[in-house]
Amino acid sequence: MKENFLNKIKLNPYLYFILKFSILFFIVFIFDFSIGKGLRYLYYKQQNGYQFRTTYSLEKTKADILIFGSSRANHHYDTEIFENRFKMSCYNVGRDGSGIFYHTAILKGVLKRYTPKIIILDLRRWEFVRLDLSYDRIALLLPYYKSHPEIRPIVELKSKYEKYKLLSGIYPFNSSLFSILVGNLNRNGTTEIKGYLPITGTSTAIPTQTKKEISEGTIDTTQVATYEVFIKDCIKAGVELHIFCSPYFSGNDEQDLSIEIEKKIAEKYNIQYHDYSFDPTFWNKPLLFSDNSHLNKEGAQLFTNIIIDSVEKYRGKK
Amino acid sequence: MLFNSIQFVIFFFIVTVTYFSVPHKYRWFLLLASSCYFYMFFVPIYILILGFTIVIDYFAGIYLERAQGRQKKWFLIASLIANIGVLAVFKYYNFFNDNLTFLLHGAGFQNPIPYLSILLPVGLSFHTFQAMSYTIEVYRGNQVAERNFGIYSLYVMFYPQLVAGPIERPQNLLHQFYEKHSFEYPQVREGFKLILWGFFKKLVIADRLAIYVNAVYNNPHSHSGITLMVATVFFAIQIYCDFSGYSDIAIGAARVMGFKLMTNFNRPYFAQNISEFWKRWHISLSTWFKDYLYISLGGNKVSVPRWYFNLFIVFLISGFWHGANWTYIIWGALNGFYLIFAIFSKKFTNNLPGISRLKKFPKLNLGLQILVTFSLSCFAWIFFRANNVTDAFFIIKKIPTFKGPLFYENPSMLIFSLFGIAFLFAVEFKKEYLPESFSFFNNKNWLVRNLSYAFLIILILLIGVFDGGQFIYFQF
Repeated sequence: MKENFLNKIKLNPYLYFILKFSILFFIVFIFDFSIGKGLRYLYYKQQNGYQFRTTYSLEKTKADILIFGSSRANHHYDTEIFENRFKMSCYNVGRDGSGIFYHTAILKGVLKRYTPKIIILDLRRWEFVRLDLSYDRIALLLPYYKSHPEIRPIVELKSKYEKYKLLSGIYPFNSSLFSILVGNLNRNGTTEIKGYLPITGTSTAIPTQTKKEISEGTIDTTQVATYEVFIKDCIKAGVELHIFCSPYFSGNDEQDLSIEIEKKIAEKYNIQYHDYSFDPTFWNKPLLFSDNSHLNKEGAQLFTNIIIDSVEKYRGKK
Repeated sequence: MLFNSIQFVIFFFIVTVTYFSVPHKYRWFLLLASSCYFYMFFVPIYILILGFTIVIDYFAGIYLERAQGRQKKWFLIASLIANIGVLAVFKYYNFFNDNLTFLLHGAGFQNPIPYLSILLPVGLSFHTFQAMSYTIEVYRGNQVAERNFGIYSLYVMFYPQLVAGPIERPQNLLHQFYEKHSFEYPQVREGFKLILWGFFKKLVIADRLAIYVNAVYNNPHSHSGITLMVATVFFAIQIYCDFSGYSDIAIGAARVMGFKLMTNFNRPYFAQNISEFWKRWHISLSTWFKDYLYISLGGNKVSVPRWYFNLFIVFLISGFWHGANWTYIIWGALNGFYLIFAIFSKKFTNNLPGISRLKKFPKLNLGLQILVTFSLSCFAWIFFRANNVTDAFFIIKKIPTFKGPLFYENPSMLIFSLFGIAFLFAVEFKKEYLPESFSFFNNKNWLVRNLSYAFLIILILLIGVFDGGQFIYFQF
C-alpha cells in the first residue's frame, strides 16, 4: 500500500518534489530546533566571557553606576575606582565592537528592570559614520530577541528579513558555537572586574591615520536617532547621564563630525559631554596605552580618576 | 541582486514557479523580464549599456551571416569594437588615464584629460565576452544568426550566469531557450544540490576566510610573515570557494529550470601542473581565450618563440580582463611565465621523479606535484589580492622571514576557517580520487541522502557568514 502510494506520487513530479522537500524540511526543522535549544541552554549557562557579560548586563545587574560603550568603555573605566570614590556599586556593560544600537538595547533591558543612579556613555570618534559593520554588530543581540521584546525594534534594524531569519533556532547563535563552549568550559573566569577588563602592556603602535572610508564616510541618521533615544530614555527614567569620548593615543586630530553631533544633541538635552579624545594628559603617551585606541591598566586608572573628578565637579555644581 | 540574499531566494522561487506555470511560448519572455529585473537590482541605468551592445551584436550577427568576404570581416570588427569599446570606456578609461597622468607628471606636464566618475557595471566583462563569442561563432559559420531579438537578448542576459558566468557559447545555450523544459524531479534535485553546495562554499568557507584575508591584506605592514603566508593560502581557498560557489549556484539555478550550463571548475587545486590548473580553473574563460584568441594567434602551430609569445599574450590579456590594475596584469603575466617555463623545462621535470627516486613513491610524487602547483598559484594570487603592486612586493618580501606571531582576532575565527577548509578538502579529495566510494549526497538510502543535505544546511546556519559581501568576481 505504501509502495502504491509512492508510485502514484512519483507520477506527478510536482507532488513528488513537494513530498521530498517536506521530508527534508522536517529533518532540518528537527535538527534546527533541538540544536538551537541546546545552544540556548549552553549560552545562558556561561559563567564568564563577553556573552555572559551581555546576559548579566541585560538581565541581572542592579548596579548604581553603569558604564556603556564599546571596547574603549570596557577597558577605560575602572569599576573599582568608581565604587570606592562614589560609594556606590558599579558595573561596566561595555562590549568589544559594539555601537550605539547595542548600548541602547542594553539600556532598554536595564530600565525595564530597575533605574540606575548614574550612567556613563562612552562614544568613539566616527561613532555615527555609516558602516555596514555597525548593523552587522547588532548580531550580538540576536540570542535575546525572543526573550526581550523591548530590544526587538533595534534587532530588526539589522535587516528587514531579520525577524524571519530568527525563526530558526540556530541562527541567533550563528558563529558562536566555539565561544559558547569556551564560556562553559572555562569556569575560572578572566581578569574581569565587574565588567571592566584591564589591559596590560604598553603601546608600540606607530601613529596611524584612520581608514579613509571611515573618516570620509557619511553620517548615519539612524544611529544618530538611536543616540537621541538613549538620552531620552535616561532622562525619562531620571538617570544622571554623562557622555564621554575617552582618549586616543594618536591619530587625525581634525574635527570629527560625529563628536560635533554628539555634543550638539547632548547640549539640546542639557547633558554633560566630556571630550577627552585629544586630551594632552594622554595624547602620544605610549606608557598609558596598549594600542592606538585603548588605554592600558595604568591609563585607565588615571583616566577614571580624572573623569570622576569631572563628574563630582558637575554634581557639586548641581 | 546577490545570490546570497533573501531577495534572491524569493526571486528564484517566484521565477521558477512562474516558469513552469506559463505556456512554453511565453517562457523566454518571462526569463528575459526577470533577468532584466535581476540586473537592474544593482544600478538600474546600466541596463542601457547592455541594451546598446545587445542591439549592435544582434544586427551584427544577422549581417555577418549575409555578408561575404571582406564585408563579413568588417561587420565582425565593428561588433568587436563596439563590445571592447564599451569595456574600454567603463572599465579601462580611468586606468589608462591614470597611467597617462603618471607618465606626463614624470615629464613635467599636467594631464588635460578628465577622469570619468563612473562605477563599473556589474559583470560587464562576462556579458561582453559572451556577446563576442556569439558574433565570432556566427562569423566562423559555427552558429546560425539568431533572428528572435528577445531570444538573443536572453542569451546574453540569462540571469543565473549574467554577472559572473559561466561564459556560455551560443552553440550550448541558444537552442536551449527553444526547448520545452518540463519539471523533472531528478534535474530539480541535481539543481538544488548544486545550489546548496554553492551556498556552503560561499557562506561557510569563502566569507569566513574573507574576514581574515581582508584584515591582513588591507593592512599588510602590521602583520608578520607567517600571518601573511596564512592569509595568502586562505585567499587561494577563498577565491576558489567564492567563485566556484557562485558558479555552482548559477549552474544549479539554471538546472532546476532544465538548462544545462557549462562546468566552470573541476577541483583546480588537485592539478599536478600549471597547464592542468588552467584546464580546471574558470574553464569557461580559459576555453574562451583558447578558442578566440590563442588559436587565432596561431596556437602552438607556429615557431617555438611565437608559441611562447602567444601563450604569454593570452595570459597577459586574461589578467587585464580581470581588472584595470597592474596587480592583475602582473598576475596574468606570472601565470603566462609559469606555463612557458613548464613547457620549456618539460623534459627535465618529466625526468625529475626518476632522478630523485620519487618514481618509487608515486603517491608522494603526486602529492609533491600538487603542492608545488598550489604554491605557484598561491604566489600568483598575492598579486591578484594585494591592494597595489607595492603591497604585493612587500608581502612577497616579508613572507620568507617567518617571523612574528600568527594574527587572529579570536580562536573561533581560525577554527571555523580550518574546519571549512578541511571539509572542502575531504569532499573534493573523495570526488577526485574515490568517485565510486561511499557517497553521502548520492547515496541510495534516502535517509542518508536527506541527513547529508540537512547536515550542510545546519552547518550553514551554525557557522556560515550571513553578513558577507558580494562575490569577488562581480567586480569583473
